[in-house]
Amino acid sequence: MLKNPAHPQKKQLKDKQCLFSKAGIEYIDYKDVDMLKRFINDQGKILPRRVTGTSARYQRQLSLAVKRARHLGLLPYVSQNLR
Amino acid sequence: MSKTNFYELTYIIKSVLDEGDIKATVEKVTNFLTENGAKIEDVDEWGNRELAYDIETMHSGYFVNMYFEVTGETMVQLERMLKLEDNVIRFLFLKYDSKMMRHHELAKKGEVPNIFAVEEEEENS
Repeated sequence: MLKNPAHPQKKQLKDKQCLFSKAGIEYIDYKDVDMLKRFINDQGKILPRRVTGTSARYQRQLSLAVKRARHLGLLPYVSQNLR
Repeated sequence: MSKTNFYELTYIIKSVLDEGDIKATVEKVTNFLTENGAKIEDVDEWGNRELAYDIETMHSGYFVNMYFEVTGETMVQLERMLKLEDNVIRFLFLKYDSKMMRHHELAKKGEVPNIFAVEEEEENS
């Protein structure tokens, strides 16, 4: 079986839901760096909606928040993996 | 007097400067705002923080976060001032709309819902 997390299987897809709509958040704050870190991968890329299950409305807000945090040096644009 | 808006401003001062210079820069920005009739709600100095990437060959910066209410005309002047200010390496200001205001009110009370709350419960059970 394909083990790429970017391609979840149908079974996993069903129980994904938007964490933001569920918690009833109205605005995603760029200052909440620890929360934003959960939505980027180890390269610093924003995770796609099909992985996180975020709804379209919140994905737009989320990407804006990540970009604001990047501008202020709170999050990396690219983070190199030291191996 | 034109209409005032609520703004949030975050800016980063070079952390290589000595304490006196950092304080002077913070005061300069704050005084500029009060002179132009701003109602300052809060000034929060986060202090020195690591930067996620190097800005102008610096690894860390002194973060200042503040909230205030002022006219749009003053913001134009403020932007110009911050751009010309050598000690400030980055800044970001946002005009608050009603949704952001409601979020801000919650944040002040520390009542922002934790989006991972459900996940953590599952882990504990």
